[in-house]
Amino acid sequence: MRFMLTLIGPEGGWEDITPEQMADEMKNWERFGKEAVEAGAFIAGDGLQPTSAGKTVRGGRDEERVVTDGPFAETKEQVGGFYLLECKDMDEALEWAMKVPIRGGAIEVRPVMDYAEYGYEDPAQAGATPAKP
Amino acid sequence: MKYVLALISEEGGTSMEDAGPEEAKTVMDRWDAYTREAVDNGAFIAGEALQPSPTATTVRIKEGEEPVVTDGPFAESKEQLGGFYLFECKDLDEALEYAKKIPFQDGTVEVRPVMDFTDLGYPDYTPGPVKATA
Repeated sequence: MRFMLTLIGPEGGWEDITPEQMADEMKNWERFGKEAVEAGAFIAGDGLQPTSAGKTVRGGRDEERVVTDGPFAETKEQVGGFYLLECKDMDEALEWAMKVPIRGGAIEVRPVMDYAEYGYEDPAQAGATPAKP
Repeated sequence: MKYVLALISEEGGTSMEDAGPEEAKTVMDRWDAYTREAVDNGAFIAGEALQPSPTATTVRIKEGEEPVVTDGPFAESKEQLGGFYLFECKDLDEALEYAKKIPFQDGTVEVRPVMDFTDLGYPDYTPGPVKATA
């Protein structure tokens, strides 16, 4: 079963960080990623650039889409990255969430859609990440 | 450059649970066609639909403190993250073209470039073996 770990926290704070501190921070993330890969849990994951680098598209299929600068919600805490992990259940996903080396913030853990319920053997048939990426 | 398209919309109403089998198939076919195009173009890296936000558990973390686990999503808002795509695009404009084609009935797509670790002095850093699967 796949779980999405959404990493949410205050933006910025590392602009004034020294190269040594940055190296330490990065080591923590490297270690987490490596552990998830070696455990066979890692499917995908990325850190995101600040919300100021993004744009938001509003609207639907039969509507005009409107593009604005910045994030969907102008909140202090923003999504900063995500992991998509293969776990046997929510408890295992929460174990991974506890280990995410975020300094302060929240991890929202959500199961992905059960594509088999809709008759798809491989998630790729439903337009999702293939079973074996 | 990799871009995340975060799909945000009101929960319920358009949910697959309420849809009849034919309606559900029509909706799934639209998403399937959308993804297939992204795969054929070599843009698709990953993407998932998420279960509704009540299935979420949130872990609050503060350095030096015990993590706090609560049921439900991070924000109890009417609009919630419902899924995402991770695409390889040449620039933000191309990512926005994909965002505009999302077969949403109604919703919002937040498009964000992923972090460039080369800029931070880590050209070799990768969070994992993510490669285009196309």
